[in-house]
Amino acid sequence: MSDRLSFHVQRDSFLHRLNPLTKLTLAFALVVVAFVLPFYWTPIFVLFAVIVPLSVSGKIFREFSWAALRLILPAVGFLFVMQALFQPIGEQVVFKFYFLDATTESVAYAFRNAARIFVMISAFTLFLLSTHPSELMSDLTRRGLPSQFSYVVISTLQIIPQMQAKANAIIAAQRSRGLDTESSFLKRAGALGPLVGPLVFGSLVEVEERAIAIEARGFTSKRAKTSLYEIADSKFESVLRWSLVALVVLSIGLNLWHS
Amino acid sequence: MNIEIKSLHFAYPDGTEALKGISLTIASGEQIAIVGQNGAGKTTLARHLNGLLKPSGGTVFVGDWETTQHPVAKLAARVGYVFQNPDEQLFSRDVLTEVSFGPRNLGYAKEKVDALAQRALALTELSEKTEVNPYDLSPTWRKMVALASIIAMDTPIVVFDEPTTGQDAANVARIARVVAELKREGKTVIAITHDIDFCAENFERVVALSRGQILLDGATRDVLGQEAVLAQTYVEPPQLTRLGKRLGLKETVVNQEELLQALKK
Ligand SMILES: Nc1ncnc2c1ncn2[C@@H]1O[C@H](COP(=O)(O)OP(=O)(O)O)[C@@H](O)[C@H]1O
Ligand SMILES: [Mg+2]
Repeated sequence: MSDRLSFHVQRDSFLHRLNPLTKLTLAFALVVVAFVLPFYWTPIFVLFAVIVPLSVSGKIFREFSWAALRLILPAVGFLFVMQALFQPIGEQVVFKFYFLDATTESVAYAFRNAARIFVMISAFTLFLLSTHPSELMSDLTRRGLPSQFSYVVISTLQIIPQMQAKANAIIAAQRSRGLDTESSFLKRAGALGPLVGPLVFGSLVEVEERAIAIEARGFTSKRAKTSLYEIADSKFESVLRWSLVALVVLSIGLNLWHS
Repeated sequence: MNIEIKSLHFAYPDGTEALKGISLTIASGEQIAIVGQNGAGKTTLARHLNGLLKPSGGTVFVGDWETTQHPVAKLAARVGYVFQNPDEQLFSRDVLTEVSFGPRNLGYAKEKVDALAQRALALTELSEKTEVNPYDLSPTWRKMVALASIIAMDTPIVVFDEPTTGQDAANVARIARVVAELKREGKTVIAITHDIDFCAENFERVVALSRGQILLDGATRDVLGQEAVLAQTYVEPPQLTRLGKRLGLKETVVNQEELLQALKK
């Protein structure tokens, strides 16, 4: 499978060896905790005490920090500025921008929200960096997820690099027929039909052929399938997952009790 | 219109050196087949002819145009290129529109576009199918639509990438008739092919490529006679040629007619 689309980075690490479901549970648990535990610094704590150390032990700190600084931070930063300026709470003005003002309270509020979102995205980034989508899907299928469902997820991930290659071939073919894709924007916009048409038709033909081909090989057979890859799981991980679930329940309880 | 290739080198962005110094002159009106094992560089070479790829070293001239100096859309008026997979280019709702697309891009007058399209459709035996959606045709007929859509551009040079691969005998014969007609009209035809019988019967000159270099270049008979050299690029001379050799014929025969003549002597 082409990895151009999935974020997965192959490394030999403790994090990579964890069962995909454990990692998924962990990501969810961290997000819930960051959102519901009623302590102001929870999201920051989760980020620096759990997510960052995990990325280090997973040998993906470099990739993780790249994503965090280049993708997550700008988005979350934007959110922070907007909320700080637009939340109509608090009295103590710390910053004024024309008619908008940021107060101590609105800044604090925006900061916590931004930190929560940061945790949410980075927890899943960590998950995606250390888990191959097909690993997750085979594990979930083994646990009873219908294989049709994982087929749709996996083939969607596969189809995009395939479509890229196809799009390049189509562009070459149409340019050879005198289609101008190199000059003005207007001309390029007019070139859309001849480029998109074969992409869609060709992909439809392909999808149908593939569906028939896998059907002919017994894809929808009702028997339990033999799994080709053994995806590791252990008693320990099972305990870990249930503890995470307990943690989630506990934080929700604490949140309700606190308020 | 001649094609003049001088010490052409080409490397793909990933560093694969696909062409390592190709020099080749193709005269106006020649029928030339390019053969060689998978990965020999045939497609890479052909894609330089209409500027889809630009040389990393050396030059490619089509007539008086150097390919680096002109966009593909403009070179398309001189070199028609039939891609191997028709599904990578068909997009119109009917065959006639599809076939008219090329000549319209070249900016010909409406009457000329119609005339060119009709001629191409007749040549590819598609005249009855002008209103059909290309995707309702069988893959072999889609191939003919792709052929027609390039022939309609009336370029002095036509390049075919693997024209007979995956085609049935009837369609191979149809494609051979198209090549013969283009020859009669004085066009240059260049075909990349694995189909050595198709090559022997329809082309007068053969270029054998191996690992990005020219192994052999000459009259079909001379090239196909060199069984041992051709083996280096995993090309086998036609069955008939090998049979002739085993029968002890002095000259190399490349088709049935020649074999019969030689046996009569
Ligand atoms: N897009 C590409 N990127 C990198 N290498 C390529 C690409 N296309 C072809 N090649 C390589 O270039 C060489 C020549 O390929 P090609 O011209 O397609 O050979 P042929 O048509 O004779 O089978 C091969 O080694 C092939 O793997
Ligand atoms: Mg090829």
